[in-house]
Amino acid sequence: MKQGLLMVLLLIALTSLCDTINQLFLKSTIDSLKFNPTLNIIKIFKFVFQLISKPRLWLGFAFSLISLSVWLVVLSKADLNFAFSADSMHYIFIALASRFVLKEKMGARRWLGTGLIVVGIVFVSLS
Amino acid sequence: MFKKKVTFKILLLLIASDILETAVHFFFKKSTLSASQGQVTDLTSAEVFLKVVFSSGFLWVGLLIVAAVFIIWSMVLSKIDLSVAVPIASFSYILVPGVSVIFLHEQITAWRWLGVFFVLAGVVLVSLSSKERAGQVK
Repeated sequence: MKQGLLMVLLLIALTSLCDTINQLFLKSTIDSLKFNPTLNIIKIFKFVFQLISKPRLWLGFAFSLISLSVWLVVLSKADLNFAFSADSMHYIFIALASRFVLKEKMGARRWLGTGLIVVGIVFVSLS
Repeated sequence: MFKKKVTFKILLLLIASDILETAVHFFFKKSTLSASQGQVTDLTSAEVFLKVVFSSGFLWVGLLIVAAVFIIWSMVLSKIDLSVAVPIASFSYILVPGVSVIFLHEQITAWRWLGVFFVLAGVVLVSLSSKERAGQVK
């Protein structure tokens, strides 16, 4: 029983990790394009076309596909409430990856805010 | 160098992507409801299930919205840090209980409201943190 729980937790960590890698690839691809948000449809389509022509983005999609598959396995093994609350570790992975891989500047406020969100999600999902 | 501030425009894009994401879940759920007569136990029943799901208009509407969410999310990421965008997108944890109360008249426990409050406080803090100048961040 205990071992089953550990297994589910590891699987949830795996899906969070794969999703984080996907976001890292997406973010670094977008940063390389230097796009400015606009409501000009033609410019948006040009941006999306440039984006999907980058191999790095598809590498990210591959991880996203792994993440989705593992998540479906998790849902078949665990309670939805538990799965969602444990998935909040995703926010911690994103914060660490942003700080150490993308070298984003993380202030105390941002860490605290991220921590509050994680606690909040655990409350929302478990209750 | 980018301006890293979360502007009103970015916030609107984030909320739009959150609302659309909720719509995706709604349409996907709808598409599986029409296929829920049979249990998926083996490969043959899985094939039948997928056939029904993929012939449902709801699924394709859902997939169309997935593409829209991707475009909006990409626009958001072109302007702000990943460590800001992802936490703010957790807004849906506030949105969904809110919608459940107002439109579905669901009961929300005190613990859940407390959780919603924590998420809200966290989102506000993270949003404010994007306005800190690099020099102020230790």
